[in-house]
Amino acid sequence: MSGVLRGHGATVLVAALAAAFGVGLLGATEVILLASEVGPLGAIDDIRLVLGIIAMAFTAIAIYVAAIVTTNTVSTIVVGRIRQIALVRLLGGTAARQRRRIAAEGLTAGALGAGLGMLAAWALVGALVLVGVATGNLPERDYPYLVASMAVPVLAVVLSTWLAARVGSRRVLAVAPIQALVAAVPADEDEIRGRRARIVWALVLGITGVLLLAFAVVLGQLTPFALLIGILGGAVSFTGFMLGAVRVVPGVLAVVGRLLGSGPAALLGSRNALRHRERSTRAAMGLVIGVALVTMLVIAWTTVRRIALDQALASWGEDGAAEFDAALGPILAVVATLVGYSAIIAAVGLVSTLTVGVLQRTREFGMVRALGLSRGQLRRSITVEAVQLAVTAVLIGVVLGVAYGWVGAQAVVGSQQVAGMVPPQVPWWLLVGVAVIAGILALAGSRIPARRALRISPVEAIAVE
Amino acid sequence: MHQTPPPAPVVARVEGLSKSYGQGAAAVTALDGVTLELRRGELTAIMGPSGSGKSTLMHIMAGLDTPTSGRLWIGDQEITGLGDTELTLIRRRQVGFVFQSFNLVPTLDVAGNIRFPFELDGRRPDAAEQAWIDTLIDSLGLRERLRHRPSELSGGQQQRVAIARALGSRPELVFADEPTGSLDSRTGREVLALLAAAAADYGQGIVMVTHDPIAASHADRVVFINDGRIVADEGRMSAAAASDFVLGIEVAR
Repeated sequence: MSGVLRGHGATVLVAALAAAFGVGLLGATEVILLASEVGPLGAIDDIRLVLGIIAMAFTAIAIYVAAIVTTNTVSTIVVGRIRQIALVRLLGGTAARQRRRIAAEGLTAGALGAGLGMLAAWALVGALVLVGVATGNLPERDYPYLVASMAVPVLAVVLSTWLAARVGSRRVLAVAPIQALVAAVPADEDEIRGRRARIVWALVLGITGVLLLAFAVVLGQLTPFALLIGILGGAVSFTGFMLGAVRVVPGVLAVVGRLLGSGPAALLGSRNALRHRERSTRAAMGLVIGVALVTMLVIAWTTVRRIALDQALASWGEDGAAEFDAALGPILAVVATLVGYSAIIAAVGLVSTLTVGVLQRTREFGMVRALGLSRGQLRRSITVEAVQLAVTAVLIGVVLGVAYGWVGAQAVVGSQQVAGMVPPQVPWWLLVGVAVIAGILALAGSRIPARRALRISPVEAIAVE
Repeated sequence: MHQTPPPAPVVARVEGLSKSYGQGAAAVTALDGVTLELRRGELTAIMGPSGSGKSTLMHIMAGLDTPTSGRLWIGDQEITGLGDTELTLIRRRQVGFVFQSFNLVPTLDVAGNIRFPFELDGRRPDAAEQAWIDTLIDSLGLRERLRHRPSELSGGQQQRVAIARALGSRPELVFADEPTGSLDSRTGREVLALLAAAAADYGQGIVMVTHDPIAASHADRVVFINDGRIVADEGRMSAAAASDFVLGIEVAR
């Protein structure tokens, strides 16, 4: 990738994934509506509206995660360009103009990605329709490929990418012209000033949200409408958690890192995530969102199922359980998959964070290779870093998901219970599945950065510029 | 093949060492038939103008780079043609490094950096080794800094930590690449005195690559390199003499 898009490969990919998801969902909705031809035309319009809103909600989650990933990508690009930015500042360029340039690059990358994603989604939906008609699974109809509402996800992706690039490039303003002349690698500690307001907001929102959630559980004993309070509490508390994550996630990273060993490879890997606390936090949080949402759905589902079966087993019998599963199981699977899509975007962010981290540590890797770190140890240190991020994200995601899912279940069916509350039902397959996915993600995600790291020649890396 | 093992006091030896980059007409020769022995207990300075090949020579002797032709030994072991893994183990166990800058692992504290060569080898220093490390820590004045991160240290302090790390595992050879390049002159003198003392007192072979005549004046032996060849191999010399020598090379170029 050259010119204005240098270093923005991950941004383009992430924008494409988010746009493809939104456009694809709307396209698929349209196909399903036309194929099933439910009732008179008026009814179709109502269903179309409802399905469209649901599709937008899923897309919004994907776009939100994409924005977090892009913020991270852009802020790491800025760190890598500090010398260059400082040189322009030294020659008389303003910081604001430099920042606008990077935001413009983000806009370009977002537009390109959104365009590519839209084309990919059209192609995919078109191909599925062709296959469906050819195999007789879909009736022959004049399926429209272009729906006006598709403009919403595309524009949202472009705008959110631009916004994310602006947020991620905030650091440009802190670059001093003198940094162009300093030979030493600048210390890369994150600046923590001006963050007090953010922490206060995180606490206020977090506490308010948790109180709302508790209220939802209590109210749930009386009416299922308590779910509305629960949803509000969930949104408010999670926003608080996102704001305060940089104070929580590094602690979990540190504990997980310690569990991963104390050899030189493990230390090099696990300590690095703690060096860039904000970057690591964002990389983990992208993944947390997907894991938490999927876990929440599964926990809510199994807990509701448990309560419903407790109440109804006498009257329904064993067949009742099977009917319950058959009726709602497929819906759960579809919804969990759609919600889990954001994890793919987060995975791209994880790989990109690790890769940029490797490129920025060329000197360090060259030095430790000179001191006698073997290729295997180097590869292991990057795997450790990936495992640490993935495990941390999964732990936090599962804990949040279990809590939210249980509150949701209590809010909906608490009033149906005879004997108090049911503890959250955590199915073993969920935990195994999540652990397996985290493992695959970490191992696959560390391959690209590890290959980059192994390509570093110690002699070139330690040569003084 | 007939092979004469180097006599005991020799810690490293190269024979007919050549290194060229690129191929055909575009080939650049960095080293051209260098033969050199390094002795135990000596601080050797390798001097030469930029691009003379002195860094390439150090990299090859330290097992960081491989020669195009020629043979080399560390101690009694020939390391010519060894693979990456074997060379990594040689560097880990038999060679110490002090670089001009960016010497330390930024995420480890001073104690962790000094212990790093042991940890790479998957072991802890034994009692005797720990006593030796403690001696180094005290004599380098690092006792109060053990819990500090590199970013909390001055350039001179970082360099002293690097020296403690390079000497801590008692490697046969220590390579110092412009060790005073980024230090002020007073701190630089301290570091040079430390290196000279380490060679004299502890019997290690220390090689210092430098273009600074003052640094070279602390060495027991000064080897001059130009255009990839050794042009002079002298004993102790003053900074003025070393400076004149380099100037002579530069002017004759």
